[in-house]
Amino acid sequence: MASSKNTEQRDLFPGALEMMILRSVLRQPMHGYALVQHIKQRSNDLLQVEEGSLYPALQRLLKDGLLKAEWEISPSNRRVRTYRITPAGKKHLERQVSSFERMFEGITRVISPAES
Amino acid sequence: MWLKHLWMRRRIYSDLTEEIRQHLDEKAEALMADGMSREEADRAARRQFGNVTRLEERSREPWMCPFLEGLWADFIYAIRQLRKNPGYAFTAILTLALGIGTTTAVFSLVNAVLLRPLPFPESERLMWLSQQDHSLPGVAAEALSYPDYFDWRAQNHTLSGMASYVSSGAILRTREESRRLDAATVSSSFFDVLGASPIVGRNFRPDDEKPGNRAAMLSYALWQSEFGSSREVAGSSINLDGTNYTVAGVMPRGFQFPLGHPAPALWKSLAEDAEGKDPKTGQRGFDVLHVIGRLKPEATQEQAKADLSVIAANLARQYPDDNKQYYSALVKPQLESMTGSVRPAMRLLFGAVTMVLLLVCANVAGLLLARGSSRSGEFAVRAAIGAGRAVIIRQVLVESVTLFLCGGAAGLALAAGLVHAAPKLMPVEIPRVEMAAVDARVLLFVLIVSLVTGLVFGAFPAWRVSRSAPQGGLREGSRAVSGTHGQHRLHTGLVIAQTAIGVVLLIGSGLLMRSFLQMMNVDPGFDPTHLSTTRVAASFDSLTHDQHFLFFERLLSRISALPGVQSASAGWPVPMSNSSATISFNILGRPVAKGDEPSEALGLAMPGYFETMRIPLMAGRTFGERDGVAGRPTIVIDQAFAAKYFPNQNPVGQHMQVRLGDDVFESPVREIVGVVGSIKRKELTAEADPQFYLPYAQAVITNPFLVVRANGDPAAIQHAIGTVVHELDKSVPVYEASTAEQYISNSAAQPRFQALLLACFAAIGLILSAIGLYGLLSYVVVQRRSEIGLRMALGAQRSDVLRMIVRRGLFLTLVGIAAGLAASIVITRFISEMLFHIQPTDPLTFALTAALLLIAGLAASGLPAYRAACLDPIRTLRQ
Repeated sequence: MASSKNTEQRDLFPGALEMMILRSVLRQPMHGYALVQHIKQRSNDLLQVEEGSLYPALQRLLKDGLLKAEWEISPSNRRVRTYRITPAGKKHLERQVSSFERMFEGITRVISPAES
Repeated sequence: MWLKHLWMRRRIYSDLTEEIRQHLDEKAEALMADGMSREEADRAARRQFGNVTRLEERSREPWMCPFLEGLWADFIYAIRQLRKNPGYAFTAILTLALGIGTTTAVFSLVNAVLLRPLPFPESERLMWLSQQDHSLPGVAAEALSYPDYFDWRAQNHTLSGMASYVSSGAILRTREESRRLDAATVSSSFFDVLGASPIVGRNFRPDDEKPGNRAAMLSYALWQSEFGSSREVAGSSINLDGTNYTVAGVMPRGFQFPLGHPAPALWKSLAEDAEGKDPKTGQRGFDVLHVIGRLKPEATQEQAKADLSVIAANLARQYPDDNKQYYSALVKPQLESMTGSVRPAMRLLFGAVTMVLLLVCANVAGLLLARGSSRSGEFAVRAAIGAGRAVIIRQVLVESVTLFLCGGAAGLALAAGLVHAAPKLMPVEIPRVEMAAVDARVLLFVLIVSLVTGLVFGAFPAWRVSRSAPQGGLREGSRAVSGTHGQHRLHTGLVIAQTAIGVVLLIGSGLLMRSFLQMMNVDPGFDPTHLSTTRVAASFDSLTHDQHFLFFERLLSRISALPGVQSASAGWPVPMSNSSATISFNILGRPVAKGDEPSEALGLAMPGYFETMRIPLMAGRTFGERDGVAGRPTIVIDQAFAAKYFPNQNPVGQHMQVRLGDDVFESPVREIVGVVGSIKRKELTAEADPQFYLPYAQAVITNPFLVVRANGDPAAIQHAIGTVVHELDKSVPVYEASTAEQYISNSAAQPRFQALLLACFAAIGLILSAIGLYGLLSYVVVQRRSEIGLRMALGAQRSDVLRMIVRRGLFLTLVGIAAGLAASIVITRFISEMLFHIQPTDPLTFALTAALLLIAGLAASGLPAYRAACLDPIRTLRQ
């Protein structure tokens, strides 16, 4: 079933979803539905985010002051809640991305066949 | 932070709900654009979104404090559970209120009497000082004389101040009337040592101790009632005991010392005692002063004791005639010296009430257990759908703590009522009892008691419930033979414990009650029935001693003529009136070294005193007309005196000399003219100690009590007595109108109160242990109804069923009684000192208690057994 597959993907490592949200919103403020679509498109549908699982993550980021949200009217004339990144969010993202990159590099080195 | 979120949360949640709704909407629209129908699109949107409720819940979680909110939710649930079962809630809360309420009331008394500091600044530095009488065994405190006090005050290095006080009375004469007031004669440093100063006028000065400088300090109450709160009163002159006193000032509202009864209406400087030919301030043998001192900041109690003992030892060497046996000092914190005598009683009270509380808790724990197992289905369902063991334990604990807190709140109300009523029920001899109140410390006590007992006694059921396997619980609802075994054992244990505690309480109260009855059966040595006692304050300043005696003689002849009066006389002191004096003497022909003279209690008697009191004459004669002012000096002794000093001879006709330190009477050689029966002077339980009597005409040293034997109610003639006194002299105040029976009753007030209170506790204990047993058996009957039905279907008679249940109840009761009797043998030892002429293991009390509990057990088993016997086997088997 879809949900079990999604769980598998989401559980890849903690903080990944938050990182993707912050990165996406840094580029351009957007609302929840748009975020889901954006992440799907950018990952070429490799990452199938369970749509609803976005919201707990968004609330966590809101509470930690990394995002802020405001009700706005979208270009399609819909009332949407748009998320923007805060300065604290930017700093957090930078730290997370660099530590993720270091980790990713380490993992790549260990698993790449050339080195063995 | 978390609190701020709590405020904003409503907003945050509604935003979240709206946001998710919009999301689903947008998604559905997108899907419809791909060609789906509205219905299909909605369903697909929801499917792809996931479990909306669950996700919304999880989205809220970042804003919550899960532990506290879980607790809160459990609490709300617990309240709902209680409201759904009003019968159960009412029983449990009422029981708890009883236990917690009585415990709290007793705690607030203990708090007021023993724990709360004295109402003076740095009161822990206030010390009670006295000298040790080494001629007596053990710790024997003796009051100080003025010269000793002055020497201690001048020579010590450890006290920043030392003050003396002695209770006295004063007749305040205003233009309209004379009033007799309770007073204290105090040294000039008195208020300083206590850390208090007057709100109007000046403090006492060292000069106020010198002859001629009589000064008075008014209490706030007297200032209000007699002087209209006028500030002009300071420096003015008032008439006390027929002489003029300068009013120094007024003490603040609420200031009182000595504490206890009666509260002094004013304080006199000791100038009065420094006047005259042979002033009291010069008599080293006149040991009447209470002394308090304030420790210097760097000094300790032990240092003060050592310091003062050195001074006492020096004085003993210097003045062997008066001080030989007083060569060391005693120092005790003032609070301890005040409350020392009531400490055992307070401990007893607290012990008893703790048992009541335990009993109540065991009772409620039983209720919780029974309820827990009747709800086992509910818990099984919870466990089956994923509630962890910790969650279930938390829920059960929160429920029991909620219950105990409700009980605590109700108990607090009960305690407030009891504390309010306590001063009226309590003997006035307990100092500070009227200050008992439900204060912050008491509130804290209730909170702690409720929480701790709730957690401890909720823990059993919680643990039990959490251990039961879900499948068992789910099946139980349909057809179980009996409850789980462990649970049953626990419940049974609780019931046995309750019976045992009930036994201990009943035996304790039974012993105190029997002891009190023994006390009341003691022969006081005189006949207290129909005996009225009254004091009149004839002035020593305006009357000579002879006139004084004549006044009383005339007064008595008039009172004797009143209708309803059998006989009237006067004497001092009346038994158990708290007045006493001990005077040294020597018997002619038995020389002793100076300072080694024996001393015994003094009595004064007008002619007819022994006859009116009905104190029997053993030998010789009593006082008559010839023992008058000009008569031969005579003396009457009592039996105990005769036995101690004239063991194998006839005392009548012997001579002795009483060293009555008075400036008019030399100490004449007196002939012993009679021997009378001994009386209980201080309390019924004390041994009758030796006493001798002087004719009042020959020793006018104080105003005697009028003793009048009435034909009927002694209180009824008191008004007539007052009228007669005022006919003779309008200016003489009449006070302390009472009866001999009242004095006896007051002397036994404390044991009566203890017996009464413990009896109340024991009654609660008896009822609760019966209820506990009843509860258990009712529960057993419900649990085993199908078994009972089966037995009956297989041919058991109703009487068999009845017998089965009653046998079970009696068995539990007997085990509880046995445990309680065994515990009592150990515990009653602690109250043996309070018992009078009764053994702490009094077989009669033990037997009666066992019988009483057996009857209660039988009664408690009866109803459940009857119910079991009435079960319809067909119905129970179908269920």
